Amino acid sequence: MEAAIQSYWPTLVRWSLVGGALGAMMYLLNTGLQRIGVKRDIARGYAFVLPWIFGFLIFSLYPFFYSFYLSFTEYNIFQPPRWIGLDNYVRMFTSDRNFWPSLRLTMLYAFFNVPLGMIGALGVALLLNRNVRAIGFWRTLYYLPAVLPAAAVALLWRWMFSPSSGLINFFLQPFYALFNMQPLAWFTDPNLVLPAYVIMGMWGVFGANAVILLAGLKNIPRALYEAAQIDGAGTWAQFRFVTIPMLSPTLFYTLVTGIIGALQIFTQAFFITTPQRAGQFLNVLIYQEAFAFRHMGYASAMAWFLLAVILALTLLVIRSSALWVYYESEKG
Amino acid sequence: MKRPIFLFSLLLILGLVVSACAAPVTAPAAAPGEQPAPAAQKVTIRLATWAGVDESAELQVLLDAINSEQDRFEIVHEPAPADYYTKIQTALAGGTSADLFWLSQEWIAGMAAQGALLDITDFLAGDTVHPAANLDDYFPDILKTAQYQGRTYGLPWIAQPVVLYFNRGLFDAAGVDYPTADWTWDDFVAAAAALTKDLDGDGKNDQWGFTMNGWPPPQMFVWQAGGEVITADLSACPIDTPEAIAGFQFYADLIYDDVHTPPEAVIQEQGFGEMFKAGKIAMFMGGAADDLDRVPGLDVGVVRVPAGPAGRPTFAWTASTVIAAQTQNPELAYEALALLTEKIHGWKIVAPRKSLANVEALVAAEPRKEKNAAAIVEAIPDMRAFNIIPRHQEWDTIFWGDFMDPLFHDQGTAAELAPKIRPMLEELLP
Repeated sequence: MEAAIQSYWPTLVRWSLVGGALGAMMYLLNTGLQRIGVKRDIARGYAFVLPWIFGFLIFSLYPFFYSFYLSFTEYNIFQPPRWIGLDNYVRMFTSDRNFWPSLRLTMLYAFFNVPLGMIGALGVALLLNRNVRAIGFWRTLYYLPAVLPAAAVALLWRWMFSPSSGLINFFLQPFYALFNMQPLAWFTDPNLVLPAYVIMGMWGVFGANAVILLAGLKNIPRALYEAAQIDGAGTWAQFRFVTIPMLSPTLFYTLVTGIIGALQIFTQAFFITTPQRAGQFLNVLIYQEAFAFRHMGYASAMAWFLLAVILALTLLVIRSSALWVYYESEKG
Repeated sequence: MKRPIFLFSLLLILGLVVSACAAPVTAPAAAPGEQPAPAAQKVTIRLATWAGVDESAELQVLLDAINSEQDRFEIVHEPAPADYYTKIQTALAGGTSADLFWLSQEWIAGMAAQGALLDITDFLAGDTVHPAANLDDYFPDILKTAQYQGRTYGLPWIAQPVVLYFNRGLFDAAGVDYPTADWTWDDFVAAAAALTKDLDGDGKNDQWGFTMNGWPPPQMFVWQAGGEVITADLSACPIDTPEAIAGFQFYADLIYDDVHTPPEAVIQEQGFGEMFKAGKIAMFMGGAADDLDRVPGLDVGVVRVPAGPAGRPTFAWTASTVIAAQTQNPELAYEALALLTEKIHGWKIVAPRKSLANVEALVAAEPRKEKNAAAIVEAIPDMRAFNIIPRHQEWDTIFWGDFMDPLFHDQGTAAELAPKIRPMLEELLP
């Protein structure tokens, strides 16, 4: 015990010094800015964001650029990085047997997951937008998935997909009986792994996206629906010509964040055992290269490529938004 | 008033810079022959392990015993049961590694090759004091997992041979004779089939003779068939020889077949070892230290694994304690390693030393194994470890992902898959 305290002591001293030094820097910044004529409130504002700026520079920006540098090196974390130019990228595109299948799997997952998720979230938001009793309770209930830990949710889904005792196969039993089929072995049959992940991704239907779309629905002026009704528009026409255009900025936002989220799928794949290659999404491959094989340089190169893919798709969606996103302020 | 605060702030920042640049705070080690430092200045030797709560409590008893007799150092245990290897590697990269840490067999060569581990060969050569430092006493095949290019980087503390656990109650109910030490693959397969049953008559089996899901390691069956997966000189992966293919195919024919073993989905739902403990599996190949023979309500026997066409080699899971190359106190870390290893050899079974490969030593270490100690000791001469290469994790990923997974899921026979996979595996050899 005594030795444990002794070994912790230096850590406590450093921790206290860091805290004290940050406080001192805040004080010096505040004083310095005021001396050169900056207003008191503004000087204090800068002083208070100083710890965050340090945190951002040290723990976000520096690793961000350092990983870019590492992507041009061979780095096993025990020895200094060795510059190898574009070799990591060349290997990724030409000789890594796992890279392209992983990228394909990730893209396929995003291709199915994003639109299905958006349609589902929109459906839930439309339901929650109705004037039913205890609507606050329902909204809270449907938002709950957003605050549950992803690892716990993954384990829950693993149980739901369980072939003989899972909830999903329980509901599918009539179909199995009708077509004289064996129950589907979701996460153990390599061909069913992707569909299982896509269905599992529908979990995102609830939670944040539904609430964001609900907020969008609430912002649509009632007058537009009344005007449409006077013009003879039915329910579908109102949805098609009022709800969708007015909701398009919110849909645009959920599309962009959905694409980014889907391409970064990791937690579910990390916690659910599947035949190895069948569930090897790009982020899982990156993790494996980095922490199992200690190929930090190569993993960094793949991470930067994934960033480029996400960036390209996001830009594509942003460029396409002029065609389908309606902003009231722009078109009056 | 403001000036003192200003000066104080400057001093505090200066303090941080000085502290950041200073070496870690540790008490100086005493040189050989020098008087030990007073107790208040004991050097802290940090030990990282994957031990969980119960294992940590048992380990702490050993550490307390060592620490109470030491004036120069105190071993402090830092358990990390979750995500252990990520933490170990991150700490090594950050220069904050524990002095001593546990590594399972497949990690040592790779870390040694990259300079992360302290070469203790010379320490061992000059050590005539500690019994655990006598390398001649170790089983050579186990010791080699802690060696790389002829140098030693750690001391193995366990070599757990796989043995066959069997549920006597299920054998009695089916009228099948118990396994014996001279069983062959044929005897084993016939018993597994006879013990697989649909007990409630619903058309589905609910008891199986055996179970496998990648464990026990397929390599063991390849060895029993006379094949090899990585040669001893690490120069080839002859997985496509007739012997190796016979071993792999034997495994593939049994796994998930619902004739001898449960389907994969059933294992995933009900748990692998849990099914044996629940009385649904008649035979289970487990490590000698497993608790399968002390499940309340089950009468479990232990016997050597069945022999294949070329013999009865059994896999021994092995782990070692190593010293980080970045330790500030190599001499004391080595001293702690030697003392700790000796203690662990009296705690874990099976100790990887010839002098301790007997029933008395085994029962002294683990009294709960008394009933089956003789069978475990009988398995010791047959045990062997993997041949490990520095890029073993990568090798394993290909072996399992591109070879075993397709083989287990009927996407090809061993004869079809092995020749395609061999070159991929051999690319990774040193």
